[in-house]
Amino acid sequence: MRKIIAVDISGRHKTSDGKYHLVCAAVAVSISPNHIERVHHVNTKYFVREKSLEIMDVVHLMEETVNNIDTWGTIVAEMGDLYNKPVDMVSKMFNRNFKYQESISERLAIQFAHHISHSSRKLLLNKEI
Amino acid sequence: MKKVVLVQRNELESNEHHNSRKLKELEELAYSAGYSVIGKLTQTRNPNRNYNIGPGKVEELANLVSESNPDKIIFYNQLSVMQIYNISEKCKCETIDKFNLILEIFALKARTKRAQYQVELAKLQYELPKAKTIVSLLKKSEKPGFMGLGGYEDSYETDLKNRISRIKKELKQVQKDYENLRQHRHEKGFSLIALAGYTNAGKSTLFNNIVNEDVEAEHKLFTTLSPTTRSLDVNGRKVLVTDTVGFIENLPHWLVDSFKSTLDEIFLADMILLVVDISEDIEDVKSKLITCHNTLWEEIEAVPIITVINKIDKVSTNCLNHKISEISYLTPNPIMLSAKNPGSIKPLIEKISSLLPEWKRRSLKLPISSYGMSILSWLFDEGIVHEIKYTDKIIVDVEARDEIIKKAEKINDNYRT
Repeated sequence: MRKIIAVDISGRHKTSDGKYHLVCAAVAVSISPNHIERVHHVNTKYFVREKSLEIMDVVHLMEETVNNIDTWGTIVAEMGDLYNKPVDMVSKMFNRNFKYQESISERLAIQFAHHISHSSRKLLLNKEI
Repeated sequence: MKKVVLVQRNELESNEHHNSRKLKELEELAYSAGYSVIGKLTQTRNPNRNYNIGPGKVEELANLVSESNPDKIIFYNQLSVMQIYNISEKCKCETIDKFNLILEIFALKARTKRAQYQVELAKLQYELPKAKTIVSLLKKSEKPGFMGLGGYEDSYETDLKNRISRIKKELKQVQKDYENLRQHRHEKGFSLIALAGYTNAGKSTLFNNIVNEDVEAEHKLFTTLSPTTRSLDVNGRKVLVTDTVGFIENLPHWLVDSFKSTLDEIFLADMILLVVDISEDIEDVKSKLITCHNTLWEEIEAVPIITVINKIDKVSTNCLNHKISEISYLTPNPIMLSAKNPGSIKPLIEKISSLLPEWKRRSLKLPISSYGMSILSWLFDEGIVHEIKYTDKIIVDVEARDEIIKKAEKINDNYRT
């Protein structure tokens, strides 16, 4: 079993107030090649930005969210979240180990993080806007 | 053999090894379609709107074509209709992309009605978004009216749509038949096992060996297109093993949609044997496994996957151990074997047996009568009869699926009362 922290950001599109309301979710899980075996920790963080995200902004958002998780693990994210940049280039921008999703379980963990970030953002926007 | 020139545009900052593997794969695809490769051109740059590759490279390609006179130019990258038109005009040679090439291979291999429908559907779906451009290109040289072919071009898109809906209807019926067959097989107590994996991983060779069959197995991409199913006895339990089409990187959604009913043989199986060729370069093995995980992950239920690490006879022990540890995070339940060697299949059968859905074991009492004997015969068909004792009644120790055991227990209770 391996420990990973799957990360996903929701809200990459501008809302009607002209701002970007972003929610980043990080999920620390233990995985086997095709199953999530255990969920250790979940953390969500809310960000507001005036401009769309550059690649370094994405890295900062992800790291800030992951820093509140005390479990150690490789950060795993979807390639599209980091503008489809090659993994060798992106991993150098992170302070922790980083990789793109590969196995079935890593994809499931990202899907899990995506549902959390998406639903959290929906909850926030319904209250605030 | 027809001659072709291969062209590949690589993305900026992309991995060189990965690019060369993609070109090698394109060469193998061309070979599977019956072409011989007489030249290759690559370029690393952002896509050009008119030619995909740069205008200078197109000049170079045109020179190569005029010198070597190939029958076709095949691009790795997906081309728009305008790009195909421009390149064909410039080089005076028919130009296709990788997806057209795959369709050509599929058309060559499609022998069943379902496969023929699927290939036709894929061709039409590939053509549909391009229909408007094709019409405008046709109109460039040919106006409707006197001595022209009239307004036929305007109906081109509608014709395509009509043909697509007709084929979808036909395929729906075929799919229904297969669904009924799958349901029937489940009801009869068969567990369904599908062989999945990247194309040319050795699925058909493994299939031939485990079910003692003789399906076509070649060192070519996409040798298998239509699924073949055969029964297998796994420690007394009946399972059905299906050999099916292999996966390939970056398959477009219209191709996956067209072959959905074939891929369902994998997606709806009770167990998946994921075959991987370990003799290749480790980066290629990883990349192909990632493609398989990507194809499977959203479609399959929580079914067991056995990773069959194939062609171990082609790798030294040290190298094999290194490779196994490198890919461990992508290989659930790994079993190492050489599909060509029937002696190495046994551990795989044992693994399949251990992961099959659990059966229950009960001792039942049946009357000694023609009714009791018919129940016994039914138990022989549906499960594994471990022991029978004939006293004033028939005492049978049987192992079977839950529903069979429940049915048998009901008969047993009725007999007691």
